[in-house]
Amino acid sequence: MNARGQVIFKDIWKKHGEFVALKDVSFEINPGEFFALLGPSGSGKSTTLRILAGLDAPTSGRVLIDGNDVTGVDAADRDVAMVFQSYALYPHMTVAENISFPLEMAKVPKSEIAAAVFDAARKVKIEHLLDRRPGQLSGGQQQRCALARAIVRKARLFLLDEPLSNLDAKLRLETRVELKKLQRSLDVTAVYVTHDQEEAMTLADRMAVFMAGEIQQIGTPAEVFAKPNSIDIAGFIGNPPMNLVNAKYSDGDIILGGQRFKTAVQITGSRDVIAGIRPSAIRIGADGLKSRVDLVEHLGDTAVLDLDIGGALMRVRVGDENVPKEGDTVSISARPQDFHLFDPETRKRLV
Amino acid sequence: MLAGENTMTAGPAEIASSDFGRVLVQRERRFATLLLAPAFFALLLTTTFPLLFLVYTSVYRINLSMPFMNGFVGLENYKVLLADDRFWHSLIVSLVYTISTVLLQIVIGLALALFVMNMKRGQGWFRIIAILPVVLSPAVVGMIWRTFMLAPEFGIVDYLAITAGLGSKNWLGDPSLAMVSVIVIHTWQWTPFAFMVLLASLASLPEDIYEAARIDRASAWQRFRRITLPLLRPAIVMVIIMRTMVALTAFAAIFTVTGGGPGTATEILNLYAYRKSFTELSIGYGSALAVALLIVTIIISAILFAIRRSK
Ligand SMILES: Nc1ncnc2c1ncn2[C@@H]1O[C@H](COP(=O)(O)OP(=O)(O)OP(=O)(O)O)[C@@H](O)[C@H]1O
Ligand SMILES: [Mg+2]
Repeated sequence: MNARGQVIFKDIWKKHGEFVALKDVSFEINPGEFFALLGPSGSGKSTTLRILAGLDAPTSGRVLIDGNDVTGVDAADRDVAMVFQSYALYPHMTVAENISFPLEMAKVPKSEIAAAVFDAARKVKIEHLLDRRPGQLSGGQQQRCALARAIVRKARLFLLDEPLSNLDAKLRLETRVELKKLQRSLDVTAVYVTHDQEEAMTLADRMAVFMAGEIQQIGTPAEVFAKPNSIDIAGFIGNPPMNLVNAKYSDGDIILGGQRFKTAVQITGSRDVIAGIRPSAIRIGADGLKSRVDLVEHLGDTAVLDLDIGGALMRVRVGDENVPKEGDTVSISARPQDFHLFDPETRKRLV
Repeated sequence: MLAGENTMTAGPAEIASSDFGRVLVQRERRFATLLLAPAFFALLLTTTFPLLFLVYTSVYRINLSMPFMNGFVGLENYKVLLADDRFWHSLIVSLVYTISTVLLQIVIGLALALFVMNMKRGQGWFRIIAILPVVLSPAVVGMIWRTFMLAPEFGIVDYLAITAGLGSKNWLGDPSLAMVSVIVIHTWQWTPFAFMVLLASLASLPEDIYEAARIDRASAWQRFRRITLPLLRPAIVMVIIMRTMVALTAFAAIFTVTGGGPGTATEILNLYAYRKSFTELSIGYGSALAVALLIVTIIISAILFAIRRSK
C-alpha cells in the first residue's frame, strides 16, 4: 500500500529562453513522505512542482515516479492530484460537480460517485456546501473544495502549491494542522510548496530549500534548522533569522567585537569567517560581550532585543522575565556548539 | 421607549434630507431628459414613425399600378397573406437561410477561435485578415462572389470545381445550388464576427482550470465539452441572438447575387416584401408582408432571450 508515490528528480534543468529557472535540481521523495519545497519568491518551487505534475516539461533531466520514467508523460497520465495556489475550481460547476469531476473522468460508476464525493467533502468539512458554486464560497471554503477535489481520487502523489497563502492567519494555522492529519490518515506522498518556513518546518518530514533555482539543502526541518549549510539558508530559516556577523577565526575560537568565544569548529590556521548565532541561542549573563540595547520588541511570551555590537546589529530572543530596557547595557555569550561558521567567499558552512 | 424617541428626533431631519434629495433627483432627471431629447426624437422619427406607418399601410390596398382600387381593406391583406403559397415558401426560405447561416457561423467561428487560440505566432495577422469580410458592405460582398467567385468558368469556385473534376456548375442558376451559394456567402462574410467574439471570450477564460482538468485526467475532447463549451455559452447565445436578427432581415447580398432567384428559390421573406412593394408596386400587401416578418423576428428573438435567461 505504502509503496506508491516514490519520486526521483534527476538533474533537472529548466530554461525560459536565456533565463535559467532551475539549475540541476535533483532529489528523491520516499513513499508516504510529506516533502516540502521551501524557498523565497521566484526561487523555482512552482516550476519544480509543475514539472513533477507534468504540466511543464523540463529542458533536460529526468523525472521518475515509482521507478517509471515519466519525463515525457502528460499530466493526464501521471496519476497525480494537485491543489493550485489559485485553487483553479471550475467556475460553472457546483462544489459537488467540482469534486466529482476527476471521478467522472476516471469513469467511476455513477452509483459510487455520490458517496465518494460526500466522503471527500466531509473530510474537509464542506459537506453542507455541495450545491454552491465556487463564486459563492469564501477563500477558505474554496481552498477546502480544491482539497476535496484532489483527495477524492486516490492518486499516488498529492501536490500542493502554497495552498494556504490566501487564507487569513488564524485559518492558516487551523488548516495547516488539518492538512497534516489528512495526509497521515490518507497515507499518501505529499509535495508541498511554500515560501513560509514555519509552514515547512511544522508540516514536512523532509524539505528541500530552494535559492535562485538551485536546491541548497535537503533534510529534515530539524537538520536544516540545526545545521544550515549556507549563509543564505541560515538567513532564511528561523524567526527572527540567524544573526550573521563578520568575525576572525583561529584555533577553535572566534574573535567577535573584540571578545574571544569558544566554538565547536576545528579547522587549521586562522581566517576571516562569518559567524552565525540564532537569536534564541544567545545568553544574557554576567560576563561576555558588552553591548547596548537599541530596541525591545515585546511579542507576548517572548521579547526580541536589537543589540548594537560595535556597529553591527545582533538580535536576541529572550523570555518575558527580566527583559532589559532600551539603552541598558548587557553582556552576551553563547555555547560553543551554537556558533555556525561560514566561509565569506563560498558562503558555505565550515565544518 | 428609547427607540421611539430616536425615531422622533430623527424624523424632521430625515424629511429635510429626503426633500433635498428629491430636488436633486428631479433636477438631474430634467437635465437627463434634456440631453436625451434630440436622440429620442431622431429615433422616433426614423424607426417608430415608419413602423407605425407600415402597420397603417398594411390595412389599405395601395397598388400604384391600379390606383383606382386603393382604399381601406382592414385585415384583407393578412387574409390573403395566410393563403399565399409564395409567402409560406419565402418564410421557409428565410428560416432555412437563418438557421443554416447562424449554425455555420457558430461552428466555423468557434473552430477558428480554438485554432487561433492555440497558434504560437501569427495570431495578430490572422485576426486582421479574418476581420476583412465584415468591414465590406454586403452589396459589395455579393458582387465579389457573383463575379470573382461563382461566375461560370472564370470564377474561382467554379474553376476549382472544374479542376476537382466536378465540372462547371451553374452556381446561381440551379435552385438548390443558388440557395447553398447565398448561405455560403453570408457565412463567409459574417463568420469573422462570431470568430472575434468567441476568441475574445476564449482568451478571457482562466488558464489554470485547464491545467486542473489535465491533472483530473480529462481528455482534450472532455475539456472542450465539460469546460470550454459551458463557459462560452453566454457568448455563443449572444452571437446567436445577434446573428439571427441580422440573418432574418438580410437583404443586400442576396439581392445583388440572385435577386431572390432563380424563380423564388432564394426569395427570403424580406425580398418577397421588397418585390411585392417595389416591383409589383403592391405597397399595401408588401407592408403586410413586412409586418409579418417583424412578427416572426419578434417571436424568434423572444424565444432566444428566454433561452438566454434560463440557467
Ligand atoms: N514562462 C516563463 N517565462 C519566463 N520566466 C519564467 C516563466 N515561468 C517562470 N519564470 C521565472 O522562473 C522563476 C521561478 O518561478 P517560480 O514560479 O517557480 O517561482 P516560485 O518559487 O514558485 O515563486 P513564488 O513563491 O513567487 O510562487 C521566476 O524568476 C520566474 O520569473
Ligand atoms: Mg509559485
